[in-house]
Amino acid sequence: MNISIEVNKNRDYKVKRRIIILLLLFVALMGKAQKKEHFSLFTDRDLYVSGETLLFKVFVPEDDQSGIVNVDLVNTNGRIISEVSKKIIDHQTDGFIALPDSLSSGSYLVCTSTKINPSLTVKELYISNQFAGLPESNHALRSSETDLFVEMAATTLQIEGLDKTYKTRGKASLTLDFTPELLSQIDENLFVSVTEADQDYNSKTFFRLNKPKKNQIVEKEGVILDGFVKDVKTGEPFKKGVVFLSVPDTIPRFKYFITGNDGYFIFRLDNYIGRIPVVVQGFDPDDKRLLKVVINHRDSLKSAVPQLETWNFSSELRKSTGNNIDASMFCKIFNYQEITALPIPFNKSEEYPFYGVATEIVNTKLFIDLPEFTEIARELLSGVKFRANNRIPSLQIFNPALHNYFAEPPLLLIDGIPVRDLNVIKDMGSKDINRIEICHSKRFYGNLIFYGVVAIHTSKHDYTGIKASDDLIKFDLDAIQPDIILNTTVGLKLNEMDLRKVLLWKPSIKPEKNIKLDFETSDIKGNYRLIIHGKTKDGSNFYKEQFFEVN
Amino acid sequence: MANRILFLIILFGLFVTSSLNAQEELFKKLSSVKIKGTNFITYPAYSGTPYLSEKFLIGEIEFMNGVKIDKIGLRYSSYRDELIYYNSDISTQIVIDKISIKSFSFNDENGVKRVFRRQNYTGFLNGERFFELLSDGDIALLAYRKVDLGTCDPSYSKLGLAYQKSYSYYVYSAASGYSPISLNRNSLLSKFTKPNQKLAKKVLRKNRVEFSDEASFVLAWNLLKENGIPISY
Repeated sequence: MNISIEVNKNRDYKVKRRIIILLLLFVALMGKAQKKEHFSLFTDRDLYVSGETLLFKVFVPEDDQSGIVNVDLVNTNGRIISEVSKKIIDHQTDGFIALPDSLSSGSYLVCTSTKINPSLTVKELYISNQFAGLPESNHALRSSETDLFVEMAATTLQIEGLDKTYKTRGKASLTLDFTPELLSQIDENLFVSVTEADQDYNSKTFFRLNKPKKNQIVEKEGVILDGFVKDVKTGEPFKKGVVFLSVPDTIPRFKYFITGNDGYFIFRLDNYIGRIPVVVQGFDPDDKRLLKVVINHRDSLKSAVPQLETWNFSSELRKSTGNNIDASMFCKIFNYQEITALPIPFNKSEEYPFYGVATEIVNTKLFIDLPEFTEIARELLSGVKFRANNRIPSLQIFNPALHNYFAEPPLLLIDGIPVRDLNVIKDMGSKDINRIEICHSKRFYGNLIFYGVVAIHTSKHDYTGIKASDDLIKFDLDAIQPDIILNTTVGLKLNEMDLRKVLLWKPSIKPEKNIKLDFETSDIKGNYRLIIHGKTKDGSNFYKEQFFEVN
Repeated sequence: MANRILFLIILFGLFVTSSLNAQEELFKKLSSVKIKGTNFITYPAYSGTPYLSEKFLIGEIEFMNGVKIDKIGLRYSSYRDELIYYNSDISTQIVIDKISIKSFSFNDENGVKRVFRRQNYTGFLNGERFFELLSDGDIALLAYRKVDLGTCDPSYSKLGLAYQKSYSYYVYSAASGYSPISLNRNSLLSKFTKPNQKLAKKVLRKNRVEFSDEASFVLAWNLLKENGIPISY
């Protein structure tokens, strides 16, 4: 009996030992997996005036699978002020944030990460309100974070031809000389900028951890739009609800999603660039319940906010900020734009609308004015039966294959947006309508069935007739930010002031042995800094900087 | 104690697996391509078949916007020159919009891969057609697998109508367009210049090629192509 207890104890001990070893291995592997590269974030300057444009450059970790990086401007309470989505090309990207005019003076944070990455790189900035200037109290809050982003100084990189002083509107040309050893270590493109620098304020860049949401889909080619549909009566998530997403355009874009038990919906807006109008509507396919559409929107990023400490302004900083505010004000008065957005490449992904090629197109402008849609349908649209005699209007399409009208209503679109309430078109006359496209056959789009289609293109193209409600949300969505270029002085007259604070912005230069750069100084006197940032193959960052004065 | 730990590990494993599955399902739902098409209307029941294959065959479609779908049940209607797929979610046969398709392929009952490409036919009864690629290249050999509804012997079909194969073959190049070709030796040789015809004859004789059917014709075509004898038409 004693022997058997002893044997059991031994066995238990062995099993325990194995489990502990396994757990230790698991923890060690997890630790290794979490030891990741960070995002490298750079901005053109550290001090800004509200209403100016902030330029940024981001190097993305090699192991990040995302195709889109998010750059947010956050205040010290964690509230997101502006958010930008940029496409990652070769593990890097660059873009801009337009700083709102109304920002109050204070410290702000620029944060970068991807939807799936828990790592967050944060850079603090100071933004002065262009009307109020620096606070009279002479102090502000700033980060006391100690886990800082460290860059190695590239001692072997030589900057040749850059003088210590330049005259205003002077021409400068320089060469960056890379040693073969350094050149072989560089992994991605280089980032070079010449900007106004204030040595009294050095902002910190640090790392924070952000807990990404569960089951996040990787943003590969475009931004993701998600949310929930809820039953208006019960407030519970609605199961098997149908959610439509429409993007009015020359060829209207359309997506749909059938929700699961959790009422969650998600859309991937691949290759959409710039600000796009979006209409999201959710409904019960059985038309029994009224639904409410809730879009998931990030309005705060509390995890980016570090410990804060009080910081006092120096008199020099107050003076230079005053000058900056004046320069910024002049830029506003003379409407000087720092950047120009490059034209959005034409994406010919869809050659015809989702509802198919129209079997009949009626241009209402070619006929006499008809005041109501009932008359338009009767006089101009063959095979379309619209009745609005009673309070509930009806619309039917003739199906030539079965020589009869479809019993079900067709898909009705106004400027590419599906409309379920026929009262919207009841009062539409010829003047309101540009053209009407009709598909007489039964159409399929994925698992959706349309019993014919009536697509109305209005004269104004503003789809104001479609009213926002619980189940229909209209808004402008910031998709991928278009690429930009920094405006130069070309075309600037001698009597016009040159108030550029960023003299050179080359966010993506291919590394070569000798890189020649030219720039022209502006009318703003002060200290300027040439800085080169790069990334080596081992994932670390390097920089080289040189200051000069413009007087 | 050990059993408890083991139980917890298994539970954790199950949780992780189910979480991954949920994400995968969501991703699948999100990436599913929405095919555009119209309702399939059944053909009149005459003798013969209006389809290239009796069953729906698993194949692949490449759309004009570059999107590809694989492992999809397809059936090519030779009679109407249209591609039909079966949407199992709504249990419906759908005719895919021809203008949305760039090409499609499937493995036939014999396991042979059949590739079709949509091209604009510029000859008589011009328009968009699906051509089967018998041999691809700068100069391609194409087959238009048309089935016509024609009259026939009442002993064959009570209604006196039947679906009859009316296949046509073309030599196609982007520069010279379409040139009809018949499945025989003379027609093939007519696509070569006089001096090259001699060379072609020599190659065909050497390889003992006999023009008995479509397969042997394609074999001869490929043989001449491999030997680098230039086609001119």
